[in-house]
Amino acid sequence: MKKEGLFNEKAIEEIEKARALWQGECLRPEDLESEQLLKSASGIPLRLIYTPENVRDMDYLRELGFPGLPPYTRGVYPNMYRGRPFTIRQIAGFGSPEDCNKRMKFFLEKGGTGLNIVLDMPTIRGYDSDSPQAEGNVGQCGVAIDSVEDMKALFQDLPIDKVSVSLVTHLPSTTVILLSMYMVMAEERGIAPHALAGTTQNDFLMETTIGSAPEILPPRHSFRIQCDVIEHATRILPRWNPVSYNGYNLREAGTDAVTEVGIAIANAQATAEELMKRGREPDSFLPRFSFFWDLHNDFFEEIAKCRASRRVWYRVTSEKLGAKNPRSHLMRFHVQTAGITLPSIEPLNNIARAAIQGLAAVLGGAQSLHVDSFDEAYSAPTETSALVSLRTQQIIQVETGVTKVIDPLGGSYYVEYLTSELERRILEFLEKVKSLGGIVTAVETGWVHSLIADFAYRQQRAIESGELPIVGVNYLPSDKKEPPMEIFRYPETEGRQRAKLKELREKRDKVRWKEALDRVRECCHEGSNLMPVVMDAVRARATLGEIQQIFRECFGLWEFPLK
Amino acid sequence: MGSVTQRPIKVLLAKLGLDIHWRGVVSISRMLRDAGMEVIYLGNQFPEGIVAAALQESPDVVGLSTLCGNHLSLGPKVVQLLKERNMEDVLVIMGGVIPPDDREELKRRGIAEVFGPDTPVKQIVQFIEEKVRGRDPS
Repeated sequence: MKKEGLFNEKAIEEIEKARALWQGECLRPEDLESEQLLKSASGIPLRLIYTPENVRDMDYLRELGFPGLPPYTRGVYPNMYRGRPFTIRQIAGFGSPEDCNKRMKFFLEKGGTGLNIVLDMPTIRGYDSDSPQAEGNVGQCGVAIDSVEDMKALFQDLPIDKVSVSLVTHLPSTTVILLSMYMVMAEERGIAPHALAGTTQNDFLMETTIGSAPEILPPRHSFRIQCDVIEHATRILPRWNPVSYNGYNLREAGTDAVTEVGIAIANAQATAEELMKRGREPDSFLPRFSFFWDLHNDFFEEIAKCRASRRVWYRVTSEKLGAKNPRSHLMRFHVQTAGITLPSIEPLNNIARAAIQGLAAVLGGAQSLHVDSFDEAYSAPTETSALVSLRTQQIIQVETGVTKVIDPLGGSYYVEYLTSELERRILEFLEKVKSLGGIVTAVETGWVHSLIADFAYRQQRAIESGELPIVGVNYLPSDKKEPPMEIFRYPETEGRQRAKLKELREKRDKVRWKEALDRVRECCHEGSNLMPVVMDAVRARATLGEIQQIFRECFGLWEFPLK
Repeated sequence: MGSVTQRPIKVLLAKLGLDIHWRGVVSISRMLRDAGMEVIYLGNQFPEGIVAAALQESPDVVGLSTLCGNHLSLGPKVVQLLKERNMEDVLVIMGGVIPPDDREELKRRGIAEVFGPDTPVKQIVQFIEEKVRGRDPS
């Protein structure tokens, strides 16, 4: 016998009749015609209104349940924001470590509750500040880190045993070095590993797909280092998330919500399978996996995405990976609002856009949040614009009342319909990736790159045709001249970093330094876990660029597949 | 006046230096192709590599994309290296996240035009066509 849903057949029949009547008597023919064209941003066909008919088969306990319990649709913790408010984690990152240290202190003084550090391009891509490749990029768009001495200066006087720290390290090959620097910095400050809470990004798609570069490691090697970091860090850092599966930058580069979540989960699943091959129990590492979503403009779809992603992750960890520890099933995620949606035209409008996206993140049950600043399309945020973002978070947290009740949109016929539909599409996407030979192969063949490029191209055309309206840009543009605005200027950094590097290279014990680097080289070839030898090299004052250069020599370079 | 047998305008596009954001430049390369231009996308390149490719390909236009703050140091360098190789007639344009003040500075240092993040691609197409066709002697 068919299990009865939330609504009995008779009730559904009555609703169907009443809706038919409403449609016939109250709606105009053009309303029904417009319904044919209605779609969510990810292309899910929509109706004018949702009723119990659309969720008639819903099994409350199997699909929704309670927060902190399977399938976690309603949230990962039983008391959600009553127990732990979302972490206000605004990004800081520019100039030298000494400059950036001041901005982090500014955030904490104004009520920020976590730190979030972005790095400059040479650091992200593994070049020292004095390398020819770094010219013009040192301390721009992020902070420059060359050695453990810089890591010490970056966190000088900051309570890293109390505040959680996110290091936006992008690539596995630089994460293994930067996390080592962070741990050695803590070690030299006398702080025990178990006191360190935080996150490193460590996503091989950032190395090979989402970002391009003049020198790129092959996907298989980058994936190996990603797994090395997770394998090692989950042994010695009980409060550290060694990976943040990055849907955010995928979305910014060009995907819809389904692909954003699908690729990140496919990577998480592939990591788990690799670590299980290495003999690790899934429950020994899955509790430290974390995710990173981009909250875009389609308000309800984005909220549904957060809810659906938790449910899909539960299905993957329980059904495919055989995890038993409840903490293994929890999809904890950080959110950043969508930088790509913030134009340079009429920039103050971006305060409204980012606030609405931030609100969606909180309604979706995010663990931590960064709200983008209105000057996103100009430069790094000024202190003024960064403060507006921080205040936006505080307004959402304490003024709007949205954190009082857990998952307040749960039970909305529309949101539940979207959640189930997104879940179905994400699972379908995971099957597609599997049929292509898994996520590493899908990257190697350039399949993921084409997916992103095709989407970005279609979207640009939609903007140019006006099909995708952007207020003030292609929709009701104003011919008023923009008032001049304050723009953040990066402090001169290259000279200061060069001087510090020169001193470091002169002062360090050259024998110990060389031996440590030789051991990194051997380890690259042997295939054992890279992290312990990299930590030794960092202790011996090897620089980021020196260690990364060994990776390039040992693993070779890969050609980016887009022409 | 141009004739119907005119060869297509040839554009060399590059992501400048270490910048990682390829979305814009890859979309633009497709849209310039849609507009009938011949486009070679070099991927990430430093000024020396861009100019070496220009020597080989003889493009009408070199387009540099950057969103990560290296525009002032690396952009004019491309112009200067082209000049040293006697290729000063190549039109060099830039696009990306570039503050308004810096746009003026770049133009003073030989960049023909700087396009911000919200520029419709048709505007870039129009600019290239006017500049390149405008100076054709044929």
